[in-house]
Amino acid sequence: MREIRVVPRRDFRVPVEAEKISPDIFAPLTIEEIRKVEVWEGNRKQALIDLFEISGDGDPAKPEEVLIKLDGNFSRVKRVGEKMTCGRIGALGDIGMHAGNGMAGGEIAIKGSAGDWLGREMRGGKITVRGDAGDYVGAGYRGEACGMRGGEILIEGSAGDYLGEHLCGGTITVLGNAGDFPGIANRGGVIVIGGDAHLPGAEMASGTITVRGRARVLPSYQYQETVEIDGLSLKKFLGDLVDNGKGELRVASVEERGA
Amino acid sequence: MIIKGGFVYDPANGVYGEEMDISIEGGKVVEESRDGKEIDALGMLVMPGGVDAHAHIAGAKVNCGRIMRPEDGRRGIEPKTKLLRPQTGYTVPNCYAVGYRYARLGYTCAFEAATPILESRHTHEELEEIPIIDKGALTLFGNNWEVLECVRDGDLDKLAAFISWGLSASRGYGVKVVNPGGGEAWGFGGNVKGIDDPVPNFGVTPREIIRGLMKANEILRLPHSVHLHTNNLGKPGNYETTLATLKAVEDIAATRDRQVLHVTHMQFSAYGGTGWRDFESKAPEIADYFNSHAQFTMDMGQLIFGSATTMTADAPLEYGNARLLHAKWSNHDIELEESSGVVPLVYGRKMPINAIQWAIGLELALLTKNPWQVIMTTDHPNGGPFVNYPEVIALLMSRAKREEELASLHELASKRSSLPSIEREMDWNDIAIVTRAAPAKILGLPEKGHLGLGADGDVAIYDINPTDLDPSKDHSKVKEAFAKAKYTIKGGEVVVRDGEVVAVPQGRTYWVDASVPEDQAAKVKADLVEKFAKYYSIQMSNYMVQDAYVTHPRVVKAGVI
Ligand SMILES: [Zn+2]
Repeated sequence: MREIRVVPRRDFRVPVEAEKISPDIFAPLTIEEIRKVEVWEGNRKQALIDLFEISGDGDPAKPEEVLIKLDGNFSRVKRVGEKMTCGRIGALGDIGMHAGNGMAGGEIAIKGSAGDWLGREMRGGKITVRGDAGDYVGAGYRGEACGMRGGEILIEGSAGDYLGEHLCGGTITVLGNAGDFPGIANRGGVIVIGGDAHLPGAEMASGTITVRGRARVLPSYQYQETVEIDGLSLKKFLGDLVDNGKGELRVASVEERGA
Repeated sequence: MIIKGGFVYDPANGVYGEEMDISIEGGKVVEESRDGKEIDALGMLVMPGGVDAHAHIAGAKVNCGRIMRPEDGRRGIEPKTKLLRPQTGYTVPNCYAVGYRYARLGYTCAFEAATPILESRHTHEELEEIPIIDKGALTLFGNNWEVLECVRDGDLDKLAAFISWGLSASRGYGVKVVNPGGGEAWGFGGNVKGIDDPVPNFGVTPREIIRGLMKANEILRLPHSVHLHTNNLGKPGNYETTLATLKAVEDIAATRDRQVLHVTHMQFSAYGGTGWRDFESKAPEIADYFNSHAQFTMDMGQLIFGSATTMTADAPLEYGNARLLHAKWSNHDIELEESSGVVPLVYGRKMPINAIQWAIGLELALLTKNPWQVIMTTDHPNGGPFVNYPEVIALLMSRAKREEELASLHELASKRSSLPSIEREMDWNDIAIVTRAAPAKILGLPEKGHLGLGADGDVAIYDINPTDLDPSKDHSKVKEAFAKAKYTIKGGEVVVRDGEVVAVPQGRTYWVDASVPEDQAAKVKADLVEKFAKYYSIQMSNYMVQDAYVTHPRVVKAGVI
């Protein structure tokens, strides 16, 4: 494994657009060349070396053999790992918005928390977050008909609103809670929420959403039966019927209206 | 400026690949230029600047598409440069991108195909922001209450006076008719089913509306003919409506040296079958008819696989599209004038209907013998974005390319169309006709589409040597060369060099000022005062497009007096 360490030189006051921090882009370059890769900090073009200290194995390697270690506060560094196809990125702390945009393969492991739009329009590969994630995890960006189409996202903490909006495939697992409207407009993806969620599955056409805690269920869902999954008894619903949906929603504890 | 040594194709002037120099001065083609500037076109293909007679590039519905499709905006992002403003979009590009991309293709003129009078201020605000190319807008008349009333009353002189007023109010160039009567019926949740189906509340039929508008168009001697989007467009079996429409107007004669009717994006009007299951091409029937009726012209409306944004004044059609495709959708009512709709969609190679539609556009162009009768369009962005014109040129020029494409499509494209059996391959001259000479002739622009003395100094130079390139075999080179003009010259100024925009002059906007007798104008005025008082949501004074909206006008005079 060729290890490359990236450390911010300072706290960024405006976001850095760092879609160039990716195994595919770093792999064929020497450390010297990586330092010269250009990114935008706000409206200014900067070389990576102006913003980050970069060290590690000097010689080019295959992208699948590249490990990029992000050490420090990356919460204002956006688009890390965009469109990556292989290799690994490991963040020791937090990471900014749009991490793993459209990624097709490889792995991003985040020890801290992730910003909004984590893994949006992801096609393959794996993202794990030890902490929490923001809104729109695995979603499609504004106007897009499909969000995530494949791959896997695991969030050990909680996720924000609109988890997996326009999901067209892939799996998202949240061990904690999810915010409003998880799985909205789901078109075939799988979402598992360990804790509670609010109004899951609005406009769901197909796919499954499992809430192992409490959730308010939309009135456009039809109760079907109680099922046993992993030792937990869940109420199974069909919907979203306003959209002629054939999605499956399973909820452990249904929050009653007005409760 | 002298353009030296190119192989010139200027079909309007009978020039077929001659090696000759073209001189431009004062923005016009002249006998001899003495300014000392030289462009070396040795061994290259030289044509007049391209002219697009039908595209949706400016106005409310285009903007509706942009608002509805942020994902499309992201598909065409090119950052600003020292010279150029930022570009966005693929099917619904921003205004700057429209101008730059046409110029890169060697096009110097494009007409917005449909603007309601009520939305014309918006249309012109966008046209003003489209750089480089000359442009104009066709004004919608086919569902306007005043038109329906004049037709009902059989008052053609008053109808002509209203058209004159409408063109002036919209700073429009010609008479566009979309699903005549259907848009009005849609205001009440209906449509018209054919050319003899009466419009609710008015009692007139599409046949009467089309005939009335064509006759009034000829009374006014407008530079362009009526520009028709047929009834039942987009529906299986509609070729019968199309042929019935043409037969219904065979007796009407043009009062100028041009077609008497232009039927637009014919691909969408040449369908057989009783439904989507037995959907098939009727392009050969349409082409046959055109081959024996020289007074009509059409444009292809070629389909391009991938993303498109359909936008039209045919609101019931868009409602149907949205239901069928479960797509994003917008419908709009334009008060006393029209209705409209916007629906994004994706044309798929393996979708049987789309594959057949793709074949139909090409059949129409290749089976119609006279290239002056069928011009190249994609009905941007309905059939696909105009940036794909080089692809269409390559398809028209190479049977091998068509076969390659057919092999990648759903098999019904071959079974339900005649395309596999068509041998014809267009030559450079045909291409020059269908992309510049004929569109200019059809629009009635005597200074466009050719390189004779006095023509606008609009020239496209492509890095192709027509004497040693075989377009049938080397179709990918043809496509490449047409996608990035070596030079585009607009009004004597080099605006594109090596496929990149190097200058950004402001183009002009054509509109037609057609005179009518005062008594007729007064009759129309009286009606309008009443309509604005009773029905319109705005005052007439806030309605007319003022000169401030058209800062570089090219006014074409026409009319009765
Ligand atoms: Zn059109």
